[in-house]
Amino acid sequence: MWNNVKAVIRREYLQRVRSRWFIFATVAAPLIMTGMVVFPIWLQTRSQRGSNEIVVIDATKVLTERLLPDLEDGGWKPRVEPWSDDAVDELSARVEDGTLGGFVVLDDSTLRTGQATFYTSDRPSPLRQLTLRTAVSRAALGYALDQSGVDATTMLRGGDLDVRVLSESGTSAGEPRFAVAYFGAFFLYMVILLYAVAVMRATLEEKTSRIVEVVISSMKPWHLMLGKILGVGAVSLTQLAVWIGAGVLMATAGIPSLLTARPDLAGLADLRDVLPGAGLLALFVGFFVCGFFMYSGLYASVGAMVSTDEEAQQAQFPLVMFLIVPIVLVMWVIQHPGTPAAIALSLFPLFTPILMWARVAGGGVPGWQVGLSFVLMLLAIVAIAWVAGRIYKVGILMTGKRPTLPELVRWVREA
Amino acid sequence: MTSDGLAVSLEGVTKRFGKRAAVSSLDLDVPRGVIYGLLGPNGSGKTTTIRMIMGILHPDEGSVSLFGGDPDETRRTHVGYLPEERGVYKKMKCLELVVFLAEIRGIPRDEGRRRTLGWLERLGLTEWADKKVEDLSKGMQQKIQFIGTVIHEPELLILDEPFSGLDPINQDVLEQIVLDFRAKGTTVLFSTHLMDHAERLCERVCLISRSRKVLDGKLAEIKARERKGVVAVEFVGPDRWLQGPEIARVEKVNGGLNLILAEGADHQAILRRGVEAGVEILRFDLVEPRLHEIFVRHAGTDAVGDAGTPSYQSAEVR
Repeated sequence: MWNNVKAVIRREYLQRVRSRWFIFATVAAPLIMTGMVVFPIWLQTRSQRGSNEIVVIDATKVLTERLLPDLEDGGWKPRVEPWSDDAVDELSARVEDGTLGGFVVLDDSTLRTGQATFYTSDRPSPLRQLTLRTAVSRAALGYALDQSGVDATTMLRGGDLDVRVLSESGTSAGEPRFAVAYFGAFFLYMVILLYAVAVMRATLEEKTSRIVEVVISSMKPWHLMLGKILGVGAVSLTQLAVWIGAGVLMATAGIPSLLTARPDLAGLADLRDVLPGAGLLALFVGFFVCGFFMYSGLYASVGAMVSTDEEAQQAQFPLVMFLIVPIVLVMWVIQHPGTPAAIALSLFPLFTPILMWARVAGGGVPGWQVGLSFVLMLLAIVAIAWVAGRIYKVGILMTGKRPTLPELVRWVREA
Repeated sequence: MTSDGLAVSLEGVTKRFGKRAAVSSLDLDVPRGVIYGLLGPNGSGKTTTIRMIMGILHPDEGSVSLFGGDPDETRRTHVGYLPEERGVYKKMKCLELVVFLAEIRGIPRDEGRRRTLGWLERLGLTEWADKKVEDLSKGMQQKIQFIGTVIHEPELLILDEPFSGLDPINQDVLEQIVLDFRAKGTTVLFSTHLMDHAERLCERVCLISRSRKVLDGKLAEIKARERKGVVAVEFVGPDRWLQGPEIARVEKVNGGLNLILAEGADHQAILRRGVEAGVEILRFDLVEPRLHEIFVRHAGTDAVGDAGTPSYQSAEVR
């Protein structure tokens, strides 16, 4: 028996992994995604390269020395020129004829409020403005603190904040964890649907081409269904492994070496804070695998009970709803992860992959809830396998019109 | 009844689709080691019968047994089944498809590959081994499918309309392969509405029409039984001796006449009358009916338009 299943798995796996579509999606998707992140940063950096060279004129005479290191860290190339009354006019002329990117003027108001004036020909990006503004205000703050006898260097380094969450509170948009929770949930929705539908299509194709009659003559229908699901599942895990591997490689090796080679791409460093850690990745894969087994079983039975693509589209609709509802709810759940409704919804097995993921990635979910959700999903997988296997067994050899709900119930009872 | 010697046995099998009976109270015994033809016009229930033997459909009444037991997947693994609708994995390479079909019946992959290459060579498809099935012509796909049917050297071959879709040359190739399997002791059950193949191949036939069995048995016996009825004559002299209650109709064929006898008529009486009339009788032959005629005679109006021309015009005069 196991040999049969192995043969089906091997066929399904090799057919799919060798297909051009798979190779394209597996290789191209991470490239495109990486490109979507890196390209804008690169473009931005590139457009600013010419205007990196700026001049600092300091009427206060005390800020320059503190300001320069911070500016250099931020990717600027500052040069100091002496203060004079007509310096602003003269430098403005150089900016206008393009020989200078811009210049910063520090004066007494800078000392009091941290405010400075930046003259330039191109409006700098918000990020560039931020680095400049931060550098100036840090310099002013440092000077003021030193004057009052405080160790400004240590203070300004930021210290270490020990965060203790006393009660669960939501994650709000804008936090890195929110992005991980939200996009992770969306990604789970996409891959579960993608591969569950692949199982349905494969089943339908075997049924309509009637090859299933030949295959079934040598193996139990249930074994064929199992082999199909495991085969497609192996394909999906291969793809995920490549994607996650590429992501990890980029985060651990790619970004640091890129930063060393191109300090001007400092913006990329922020990206690392957004990426999930190993534990979260493992949970992600766990949610995907369980979700895939639940939905692929259901989708296999849909593929078996219909005879045409159009019928399949209609019949899968109730199943898609089980995936769409949590996607609609996911934003709310991320923001209110501790509410009884969120807990209950995320423990409903068909919703668990998306909603429990969103809560876990948002942070602060008790371990027992995660454990319980996996137990419930495993029970659901067994139940679905039992029901879907029976529908599959009858449906896969059935021709003619789609069964009604009472007929389906009879199939399950009698199979 | 003991079914030890039977590859397939159906007892009182009925299958209905809605109100329409596709198969009605069918009894059928296929002994081991014979070539058995399941004959009938389109829509007479041949495919439904085969699908019940393969356990794809379940009879509403009656029982089906395969090798003396339930048609479960263990027994079905010893069957090579070619469905009427040609199903293949179109995206697979020919060689891989057949190796896969062998593998799910317990043939190791190496062995499966070896056998497949042998078959591909025999059927002139060697150069297509690594081509995708969808790149092949329909006829070639059908040959690949046939290889997949026989690759595990089954004890029983069940072929549903194996000849349709093949050109005459490949029909001959297929006939030869079927005969080779028969020589090795394989039982072959095939359905067809093309009587020529059945006539050449079958030792036993079962004729069904409108969901019911019309006749079955050894082909030779059926022919002997059906021989009465047509007499081919050639003679010199007046033809008044051909008028009598025994003769229902007279048809002109090349160089002679065919006498179609009335039900239960004694052909000897006609011969005697001819001799008494002093006619010089050159030939007086009981024509052995071709399966085609028997088919048409029994399938009746069902067969019209399906199985060829329902008349005796094609009867040979020897």
